[in-house]
Amino acid sequence: MANLYLINKVYGENGLKLARLDANAQIVLIQDGVYIDVRRFVGSKVKVYVVRNDVEKRGLVDRVHEDMELIDYDRLVDLIVQNKVINFA
Amino acid sequence: MAQKTALIIMNQAPFGNIYYTEGLRAAVGITSGVDENIVTVAYVGDGIYFTLHGVDRKDTGRYIATLQKQKARMVVERESLKERGIKERDIATEFEIIPRKELLTFVQKADFVLDF
Repeated sequence: MANLYLINKVYGENGLKLARLDANAQIVLIQDGVYIDVRRFVGSKVKVYVVRNDVEKRGLVDRVHEDMELIDYDRLVDLIVQNKVINFA
Repeated sequence: MAQKTALIIMNQAPFGNIYYTEGLRAAVGITSGVDENIVTVAYVGDGIYFTLHGVDRKDTGRYIATLQKQKARMVVERESLKERGIKERDIATEFEIIPRKELLTFVQKADFVLDF
């Protein structure tokens, strides 16, 4: 079970700073959280998911880094159920 | 039901919203009852502004007093103070200043985490 950080824009940075120290972190960018620059996690062990619907609506699909995984709501629900949610959304 | 460990993370600066007080109300709610849950309230980001000496805590003082009585810890992330140029001596004595690394141990130990 991972610590799943749900990150929106308003105070998502607070969560990302914690996740940066957390060897067991996984991150989901949701809603305006998809605007946050998370390149600091590229090459790290922290998996970053991005909610596809939120990216598509904002016209950002081409800008999602290849290390990040686009997920639909079904997968998001699975992640929420399977992990400990640390909510910053 | 059994005893649970809860972490409440306060992200938002006080006033003009309900979060700073609702988070404390939730914390008090979690401490009450037969399970004697273990509660920590953590102030991070702009949430730390609530912990300054001069803040008007008329509407939250009773929550804080109850939490102290229940031995709930109220902690402030040191890095958030530093990032905002706030001195540790400016923080009210009810709150305990801890490094982000220690906050992470609260996250790891918690059965559940709520954010406000």
